[in-house]
Amino acid sequence: MKQDNNAKNYNSLDKEIDKIRKISIRRKKQFSENELNKPVSFWTKKERLIDGIGKEFTIILRTKGCYWALEHAGCSMCGYIQDANIKNVDSQQIINQFNYAFENKIEEILNDTDDYILKIFNSGSFFDNSEISEDVRIYIYKKVAEISKIKEFIVESRIEFIDKKQLKEMLKYLKNTYIEIGIGLETVDDHIRNNYINKNLFFLDFIETLKLCQKMGIGIKAYLLFKPPFLNEQAAIDDCTNSIKTLISYNINSISVNPCNIQKGSLVEYLWYQKRYRPPWFYSLFECFKRSLTKSDLSKIRILCDPSGIGTKRGIHNCLKGECNKNMKQKLKQFILNQNLDELNIADFECNCWRKYQIQKSYI
Amino acid sequence: MVYFFELIKNGMGFSRIGKIKLSKSFKNSMNTPNIIIPFNQFLANNAEFIDSFGCQEIFLITETKYLKDEFLNKRFIDSIFIFAYDGTLNRFQEILEEKKQIFQSSNIIPIIPFNIPTTSINKEFSNQEIQKHLEKAEKILFDYPDIDFGISIKLFEYSELFNLYIPIIRHNSNIKILNFPDLFHNLARYRKIIELIIEIRGNLDNNLVLMVSGKLVSNYLPILIYLGFDLIDSSYLLSISLENYYDSIESLLPIYKMKFLPCNCSSCNGKLGALLGDKHSIEKIDLLCYHNLITINNYMKKTLQYLHTEDIRAFIEKTSFNDLNFISLLKILDKNYFKYIKGYTKLIQKNKIINCLGPSSYYRPDFVHFRNKVINNFEPENWTKLIIIFPCSAKKPYSQSKSHRIFQKITRKYPEFPTIQEIILTSPLGAIPRQLEDIYPVNSYDISVTGEWNEEEIEIASDMLYNLLIKYDKGIPIICHLDGGYLEIIEEAKKNLNYNFIYTNIKDHPTSVESMNSLNILIQKYISEFIPKTKNSEDSYLSNSWIRKFIKIIDYQFGKGFGIKLISKNLKYRRNKKYTKMELFNSETKEKLGIFESSTGKINLTIKGAEKIAFMDNFSNYIIFDGNQIKGNTLFRVGIIYFSPNLLPDDNVCVFDKEKKKVIAVGNMIIGSEYIKNTTSGRVVKFYETR
Repeated sequence: MKQDNNAKNYNSLDKEIDKIRKISIRRKKQFSENELNKPVSFWTKKERLIDGIGKEFTIILRTKGCYWALEHAGCSMCGYIQDANIKNVDSQQIINQFNYAFENKIEEILNDTDDYILKIFNSGSFFDNSEISEDVRIYIYKKVAEISKIKEFIVESRIEFIDKKQLKEMLKYLKNTYIEIGIGLETVDDHIRNNYINKNLFFLDFIETLKLCQKMGIGIKAYLLFKPPFLNEQAAIDDCTNSIKTLISYNINSISVNPCNIQKGSLVEYLWYQKRYRPPWFYSLFECFKRSLTKSDLSKIRILCDPSGIGTKRGIHNCLKGECNKNMKQKLKQFILNQNLDELNIADFECNCWRKYQIQKSYI
Repeated sequence: MVYFFELIKNGMGFSRIGKIKLSKSFKNSMNTPNIIIPFNQFLANNAEFIDSFGCQEIFLITETKYLKDEFLNKRFIDSIFIFAYDGTLNRFQEILEEKKQIFQSSNIIPIIPFNIPTTSINKEFSNQEIQKHLEKAEKILFDYPDIDFGISIKLFEYSELFNLYIPIIRHNSNIKILNFPDLFHNLARYRKIIELIIEIRGNLDNNLVLMVSGKLVSNYLPILIYLGFDLIDSSYLLSISLENYYDSIESLLPIYKMKFLPCNCSSCNGKLGALLGDKHSIEKIDLLCYHNLITINNYMKKTLQYLHTEDIRAFIEKTSFNDLNFISLLKILDKNYFKYIKGYTKLIQKNKIINCLGPSSYYRPDFVHFRNKVINNFEPENWTKLIIIFPCSAKKPYSQSKSHRIFQKITRKYPEFPTIQEIILTSPLGAIPRQLEDIYPVNSYDISVTGEWNEEEIEIASDMLYNLLIKYDKGIPIICHLDGGYLEIIEEAKKNLNYNFIYTNIKDHPTSVESMNSLNILIQKYISEFIPKTKNSEDSYLSNSWIRKFIKIIDYQFGKGFGIKLISKNLKYRRNKKYTKMELFNSETKEKLGIFESSTGKINLTIKGAEKIAFMDNFSNYIIFDGNQIKGNTLFRVGIIYFSPNLLPDDNVCVFDKEKKKVIAVGNMIIGSEYIKNTTSGRVVKFYETR
């Protein structure tokens, strides 16, 4: 059920986000009929599954868009509304989008020796009927259930759309598939989440949803935003470390750490242009992982991290030297695939940007 | 008595010299103002850094790995550390709990951090964030009453939000340091900065240590000290070093522009020159960090030297030219906030030449105070028959200059000389009655003289002259022995005065034979024109020049009418051997009444002297002590029952016993009433005589 307008107004941030959002939506291009029948994007690549290394098949669907962004300004770091249609996208079009991706990749999947995880993202809530109708969901479940190679199935949603009915429906069709629902928790700190990200989500509500899903045998993947706006590097390390440790204590299934990147039309981009925000450094992210995780933790939960814009000035980066970022990217990738903290050892590679990082991390 | 900060003495403006004592510290105390040097791993590994800063009094650390007994209490036993954690407040709380014992027993002060949000988007957001932060900060202060804290006061460019912090600061006595991490991020908002300083001084304990951090570079130091900051964090210099900036004090220069390294530190003398062009060299960055820290440290020492022994105000004026905003800040502070700064600034300086550098000096607080006080407290001698206006001289006091000796050769040959009121025109002090030529700052100032006066100088002098002359009967003739720009002052003052101005005929210069003849003729002509109501016979004690001076000096110090009460016909004076002091005493009873010091131009009353005027109704230079006898030579805040509301630093003051029946001590104020009002501890009066 959607939030009503009176349910929030926890902060003064939404007005500023709304201003920027409206400008960027006004400037958005209209999508053609052809574009509405194709997904935003889809790909396959290596990925960490629950029990080992496999592959992911990701499809990004183009829907009307996240209601939170359309009706309540949205999250301060999110620019995904740019990919949305804003106007309704009918069920058939969404099914066509799904089919387009599926038909493109099905042969590859069937011929592969690896197991797969299917990720359906709509940059909004999978269970929001205004984005994806029940019919479409059922269609997708049925399709997924036919492919035995697909061992895991992941969707995303805000918690207001997650209820027993939805979960039962999934379980009805996906009996043999491990299901995970990705929730944009961002941080366990209510103040940061609601006042800096404008999520309007409370940790206790998240825990309630987590417990419901755990009870029904459905996994939860908590998305954590590494270095939300208004945090400096050290605060980012502290916040994310605290979040990971807390979530582990609640026996979360997966944690996906997403370093904040500069998305078009977002408040973060506005701050970035004014040099009031810098995307995080790899050093901070690695420090966070080392402080928050042990070998034992990694045997119980899955840590994921697949940053957008990695190594560029809009994404997580150290200096702008190609070799430094390439090195860090590789280490991160290996860590995620192997879930081994030793992969994050940077002693073998020294870049002089380390000195800059040490000094500047207090300021921005 | 355990204190955290103690004021030793006020400087000019809001500047002050003090000391910080951590009651738990092994070291005795640490002096302020002081520079805080950042301490981190890469600096610690630099032998030259350790060499240069090993004995630094105060360091800043941000990492928990230094919160160890062997580091704090053994290796750096003589230093004080500020722990300024740069992460979340929640994590800071965890560290506080883990390292509680270290904070309670070592030479370290934690600053309650306010690192997030790093920036703000509007005032409502800032307000909300500050309130939320303060709720958590209050809890920390409550949970750890035995730890002395600093608190970071972030304002996000909305300095009016400072009032949100006032309750928490007032209610928590374990807040000792106020740290301002973003106050100077936008220097163009200098008016807001000044207003904030005024608000701090007026609303909070003045013994709170003021610390400033954030984006500060070397050339900020003098103005920061002038505004009263005690601790200045130099960490930002490391950040600018990374951006390849070389701090030359006057400005930050990009390293690629450097052809000459104007510094003798080991970096500039060593490898830095060779590495200037190397864009990515870590060694260059290290050397630049080291140079920039050395620069600010040296500049601090220079500023301190001026603060302790020279005219700091002239130094501030000179250095303000490093940034246009500093010039504006100083100007606005002088012109619009004198009534606030008056309560805190040093108003008398000893043994210094006070150089007036131009318009920036005209409204210095000590000059404005002097001009106001002369206008308010100078009363005409009621036997005055003639007024003569002279130009000033380079040598001070004027009477000892060649030109004024020549003038007085003419004026003193008249038996009516004591009925002549001489007034000397000068920039930027205005119009000086002869009787006050020995007092500060008249006895010490100097200015560049070209014969040309700008509009502001003319306005100041004419205004003051007007205010003096208006006190006199308009029938008294006024002889103007002036030429050049001085005449413009007369013309300006005359506009609203229907008085009789007569001009001598100056030929070549005012001391030429022809000029002196002209003066002589006019004095002869006008000396008997006006008949005053009171006559002063030649052999009256009031004819003596020094007696006339002492009367007016006492009036200047204590108010109109006190001079004539103290200085009776039995008053005599004698100089000491070095001619630096004059003792005023009663020739009959031999009682010493006061000592005139030529270095300051002040008369310090003795107890006997004070008794002659202190019981008068309108005498206000007094304090009532909570007791009948004083031990030692200092009065502390805690011993005061009552103090007059208008006492200023350096005022001569007498201290009464509890019943206000007798004067038990005399001395000079260390701090003014405004400071006393907003403090519960510290030194207030330095005595030179106690009963």
